[in-house]
Amino acid sequence: MSATSPRAGLSGPVLALLLVGAAVMLTPMVWTLLLSVKSNAALLGDSGAALSPPYTLDNYRAILADRLTSRWLLNSLIVSLGTTAGVLVLSSLAGFAFARLEFPFRRSLFLFVLLGLAIPEQAVILPRHQLFATLGLHNSYPGLILPGLTGSFGVFFMTQYFRAIPRDLDEAALLDGASRLRLFWSVLLPLTIPAQATLGVFTFLASWNDYWWPLISATTSDYYTLTVGLASAQMNYAQTSGLGFLMAQAVFASVPILIVYIVFQKQIVRAMAGTAVR
Amino acid sequence: MRWCGLLLLLLAGCAAPDQRPEIVVQRFFGECGVIHGGSTDVAAADTECGILTTLFNRFEAENPDIRLKVNVVAWPGYPQLAAQIAAGDPPDLVTMHQSVISDYQDRGLLEPMDGVLVEAGVDAATFTPAARAGVVKYGRVYAMPWDTIGRLFHINTRLMAQAGLMRDGKPVLPRSPDELLAQARQFKAATGKPYLVQAHVNAPDFHVALLYTYLLAQGDTIFPDARHVRLDTPAARQVVALFRQLHAEGLTTRNQDFPAATARFVQGGGGIFPVGTWMIGPYDAEAARPGSALYRSYAIAPFPRLWGQDAAFVDGHAWVMPRAARSRSERAAIARFLGFLARYNADWSRTGQLPAFQPVLETDSFRALPHRGDIVAIASTGTQLPEHVRRQSAIQGLIGEELEAAVTGIKPIDRALADAERRVNRLYAELP
Repeated sequence: MSATSPRAGLSGPVLALLLVGAAVMLTPMVWTLLLSVKSNAALLGDSGAALSPPYTLDNYRAILADRLTSRWLLNSLIVSLGTTAGVLVLSSLAGFAFARLEFPFRRSLFLFVLLGLAIPEQAVILPRHQLFATLGLHNSYPGLILPGLTGSFGVFFMTQYFRAIPRDLDEAALLDGASRLRLFWSVLLPLTIPAQATLGVFTFLASWNDYWWPLISATTSDYYTLTVGLASAQMNYAQTSGLGFLMAQAVFASVPILIVYIVFQKQIVRAMAGTAVR
Repeated sequence: MRWCGLLLLLLAGCAAPDQRPEIVVQRFFGECGVIHGGSTDVAAADTECGILTTLFNRFEAENPDIRLKVNVVAWPGYPQLAAQIAAGDPPDLVTMHQSVISDYQDRGLLEPMDGVLVEAGVDAATFTPAARAGVVKYGRVYAMPWDTIGRLFHINTRLMAQAGLMRDGKPVLPRSPDELLAQARQFKAATGKPYLVQAHVNAPDFHVALLYTYLLAQGDTIFPDARHVRLDTPAARQVVALFRQLHAEGLTTRNQDFPAATARFVQGGGGIFPVGTWMIGPYDAEAARPGSALYRSYAIAPFPRLWGQDAAFVDGHAWVMPRAARSRSERAAIARFLGFLARYNADWSRTGQLPAFQPVLETDSFRALPHRGDIVAIASTGTQLPEHVRRQSAIQGLIGEELEAAVTGIKPIDRALADAERRVNRLYAELP
């Protein structure tokens, strides 16, 4: 370990505190995993049975054998990827426009976008539901994807990132005869890749975990996303006699999220540390 | 080859559209296609999900001229139903708790089903009294009842015997609040365990069911009209005080939610678990399993009479028909489906819920099911909420919160009951 390594600066008590914190965070996850590989009957009387064998993959087999689960998984992927792609495209374009272009009402429009950050989804869900009903968009992929594209956070985030890029680059490119589109596409957009990655990961995670809108927009099981589908699959009151199955569902729904975290952990850590917009 | 493919594609495109009437049935009870996906053997099916799935499979097999589309929704499915109604695209039949029907009926969102039930060959006169009270609103039938859900004492007879609370093979249950406390103390002294297993956390319905039951027993009117609840009464104070004392003396389990309380009872962690009919099946299975704490040691009984008269607050599941434009053939298909379901109501009663039809209740096969003889009276004596009670889910949450606080000693009983009454009345005041 080098002298400049972050770990070198940690004193024993701090390290111990961090380890305790990590254990506290990990324990529910390990507990969930253990419960998921126990039979439901064994857990009915004693959830502590999860700490000892025998273990079984029956709960996972039950999930995978259900033809609807793969459909819900596919729906979640389509919706999350569609939303992520849409948000990246729209936010990048809007961010570039707000940061770099002069047009009437630019400041007012940006302020209007920012107002969106202060309005909770619950406040607009009824009119949005009515609008989508009028347009016949419920129980469709556009119906599930479009609301996710209207978030203000992405526009604000990308605007700030574009603003942080020196304007000298624009001037140089324009002097070389580049059009605005060329400036955006070939010069500035490649510089925003770290921000795109961060925004993409956050959007994907939020879309994957979304429950409320898919619950009321996708009312036929063919269009359920995984979160709604797995909730609908619970078989009894408070899932009392199916605890293992419930936990297996939780683990199953988390796997794609886990993969995203593993692949994009650098971007996530940077975003969390507030360094993405530098 | 390419031409053949094109021809096939054209032929596929020319296929006659499906002319069969479609009925969309929306239900909760979960998804269990993996286990029961292809089965049509209703008699062999078990669990609520399994029996319904098999029933639907059988209907499809027997009625190929009807297209049955099934939506399984997350429990209880009301947010989705509200959204579907708002979007103008409700399903044709929906599972609904009988206590919730008034909420939708009051806003004109449900179709009266008198006509379709006649067409289905279902005679509303055959509904049990409890089921009838659950689905008839202002003289019209707004649903086909499917069962009656009651709350019971689920009893560990081995522990009761250890406490000297068994006589002639039957549990000795209290007949007054004082007797309840005495038996609970006797039980704890003999077994070292709490007399009652209860869910006190995130389980508003448990407290509410107990309170409603014992207010009904004392002849209290809980909902005098459509805009008021009456809870700040001497009768209510007596009921809550009893359960608070049980809690304070450690005669009941503490700090448990429903799954934890369920597990505690299975482990033999207490004498009596006051929970619903739906747990009869799982506990019976435990009672048949050697090595289980409930092995050959399980009995059930209606809530004992502690005040006034015998009473049981009940609810139930039902099939409602949201208001929508439907063709004659679609209505006929719905009627046929309802008639089919009604014929299999006896199979549903294997879940532990009481059947909704009196003739089923009187069959030998029903009486032969374990413990059913002990609780069959609930189908007659069980009391539903009055038809003018709206927003049952919301008010149950409000009252349950206050009761939890009172029973666990967080809030004085008087204040909790006054707060419950005030909060519910305020909610009612805001309704149109």
